Amino acid sequence: MSELYHESPLAGVTAPSGLAVSLREIPDRGMIDLRGLGNDKKFAAAAKEVLGVALPKTPRSSVAWGDIKVLWLSIDQWLILCPRTKVSELLAALRSALAGIHSLAVDVSDMRAVIRMEGDGSREVLMKGTSLDLLSADYQAGSCRRMRFAEIAALLHVVEDDIFDIYVFRSYAHYAWEFLATTARESAKVKLFGAQSAPV
Amino acid sequence: MLIVTCPVCGAKGDETDFHAAGQAHVRRPATHDPVNISDEEQRDYLFIRHNPKGLHFERWRCDRGCGKWFHAARDTMTMEFKAFYKITDLPPPEVMAEAKGSWAEYFASRTSMESKA
Repeated sequence: MSELYHESPLAGVTAPSGLAVSLREIPDRGMIDLRGLGNDKKFAAAAKEVLGVALPKTPRSSVAWGDIKVLWLSIDQWLILCPRTKVSELLAALRSALAGIHSLAVDVSDMRAVIRMEGDGSREVLMKGTSLDLLSADYQAGSCRRMRFAEIAALLHVVEDDIFDIYVFRSYAHYAWEFLATTARESAKVKLFGAQSAPV
Repeated sequence: MLIVTCPVCGAKGDETDFHAAGQAHVRRPATHDPVNISDEEQRDYLFIRHNPKGLHFERWRCDRGCGKWFHAARDTMTMEFKAFYKITDLPPPEVMAEAKGSWAEYFASRTSMESKA
């Protein structure tokens, strides 16, 4: 029998030199997709009991508790982030707490690749791939939203003001990485206001 | 470029983050009166759509965002959105009152049908 082992979608890929921001993959993030009715009190209470924190109800927001983060994806869908080693334990706890309640909890740790972009100017780099106004007050630390990024579906999580996690489906990992590595080059830097410098 | 606001999650983005999915408020006759459906009614349900110059009502989906469906009232001439409202709702009264032609007829029959029920 062949041995099963985990390899991250971007294993072996390194950031090129000459980038204006720092770019790396986060390879060991566990993810659980949780679905249920947001207005079901039993469901909310059961999820809170396991996670230690209530599911965020405000659209496009997230909450954190210890090493667990919960991102709002839709009125009936949340993405739970935790260390990869903790997923099976947390999933079992969720499933037993949610038994009999109309809901669904699935381990989706291998579904998406996570790319972290850090540094001054990250927003400008991201805005090359999306039509969203990332400079508006909607995109403060803790906010998250699914969006169309570089023509593909992506999930954006604003971790801190200049730290972003970009989640893309695993099969798009290399494409998204190449897109970011190309648009984040120092020589491709854009100035949103004022005159542009000539391309190098 | 159309700027769309999703009434479910409040996300604002341009039309590429959303998906337009045709005319709103199409009623399937078989759902409401399964016994007496004429061929004409079924034909209208499948193929006949309003095509107004001016105020139009459409279904949209927050395609790359929360994934939910919603309704939008849009002017086909100026491309201006008049309202975004939930998928189970009729348009806000002030927008419904602006509807002309076949849409006005539709809303009149719909509200009289619902007041009878």
